[in-house]
Amino acid sequence: MCKARSFACATWRLMLLAAITALALSCIGTGQAASLDDIKKRGYLLVATEDDYKPFEFVQDGKPTGFDNEMLELLKKHAPFEVRQDIIPWTSLLAGVSTGKYDVALTAALITKERAKSFDFTMPIADATHYFVKRKGDQSITEIKDLNGKILGIQAGSGLLQRLPELEAMLAQTGGKVGKVVEYTSYPEAYQDLALKRTDFVINTIINLQALVKEKPTVFEVGLPVSGKSYPAWAVAKGNAELLAFLNGFLAEQKKNGTFAQLQKKWFGQEFTDLPAKWEPEF
Amino acid sequence: MTSADLISLLQGAGVTVALSLAAIVIGVPLGLGFAILVWRRIPLLQLIVKTYVSLIRATPLVTLGLLIYFALPAVGLQTGPVTAAILTLAINTTAFNCEIWRAGLTDFPKDQIESAQAFGMSWSHTFRRIMLPQVVRTCLPALVNEMTLLLKGSPAIAVVGIVDVTRAAVRIGANTYEPLPPFLLATALYAAIVFVFVRAQRWLERSSKLDEVRA
Repeated sequence: MCKARSFACATWRLMLLAAITALALSCIGTGQAASLDDIKKRGYLLVATEDDYKPFEFVQDGKPTGFDNEMLELLKKHAPFEVRQDIIPWTSLLAGVSTGKYDVALTAALITKERAKSFDFTMPIADATHYFVKRKGDQSITEIKDLNGKILGIQAGSGLLQRLPELEAMLAQTGGKVGKVVEYTSYPEAYQDLALKRTDFVINTIINLQALVKEKPTVFEVGLPVSGKSYPAWAVAKGNAELLAFLNGFLAEQKKNGTFAQLQKKWFGQEFTDLPAKWEPEF
Repeated sequence: MTSADLISLLQGAGVTVALSLAAIVIGVPLGLGFAILVWRRIPLLQLIVKTYVSLIRATPLVTLGLLIYFALPAVGLQTGPVTAAILTLAINTTAFNCEIWRAGLTDFPKDQIESAQAFGMSWSHTFRRIMLPQVVRTCLPALVNEMTLLLKGSPAIAVVGIVDVTRAAVRIGANTYEPLPPFLLATALYAAIVFVFVRAQRWLERSSKLDEVRA
């Protein structure tokens, strides 16, 4: 083909390598999502949950627990077919649903404009207005404008990151700016770094932060809201309308019989009674 | 941290060791096979091996894991997390082992091979009785080195839902909001496992030296 070690040959090989990789990667996007009929035919629904997203899904004493895991138990009773669960990290969760490996991302995925292009979301399962959390007793942050130039810790690839323009707009009113942004693969590391003073504040949803402060009241303190309305929900592949309707039917039933509110109270510390049945994200 | 957390960390260590060992058992001999193809300059096959090695050496473990777990179903191959994890680790380590073996084979003194053939030894006989024992000895440190790297790179396979030591530590940290203690314990577990590997290498080296003295 070509003599080894020549520059042209190396370039050619590199291009071939890139082409193969691109081809392999493009295969990923072509996965087919299973419709409700397919699921009934094969006899089981495959859902994916996370393992480090307290209080929605986490592992305690080796067992998965949290709001979504309790909902999953109810879903198992409700569904006329078997429901199987795989626990995987957030990194591969949405990819797993878009490739058709999993039918449902049964987690608190924030509904965002970007994600709505590739996924359909169920009715919101909680309120997820974004708040900031700071070190307990940090006097340098008392108002939103104090966040000017402070170092922010936030999860990479999260819906929260896409809402930063809102905080930017809030700060701009007082002539301030968002400081350095540090991205983490998951929140426990972000909290740890906040405690270690590597960052000055962390942004997450109110529920996650309340759970954090409940566990560590002497270390952290919840601040003020830094976003408008925001809701998390379960996600299915775009266009999987029947499966979405099935899940929404299940959620509506749990709302009606009061279990939904009961579980919210148990895991979030409060009930969210005014959740919209459908949410069109602005961001 | 509770005793249940400790148990889950130890279980994670078991998973790390089991998956790494499976990959090593596949990767070390397969790497040798591939290296022989390149060393003997088998047409076409050596080109395939060379492409495979450069492709895999350029691919991070996480990417490879995601590719195997999510791309294979798209072409009709369903893989469970464990199969996907072993495949990922084995495909990765085979490429590196191939290069280690190839270096050992290429550096082998030609005069020994020529002498063996002058005595009428067949190629396979020469390879088994003359080359392999010496090549194994030269390659052993590098192979064990690669094994320890594989072991420490193995947390990457958590992306397909495997709970190894590191993922077990992440889970505990996510529940207690104190990631440091479980991570320190995980580090200690890795150190202990690597220590066993290195001791095994020393022992193998020493016993092969004794063989030499006896011979």
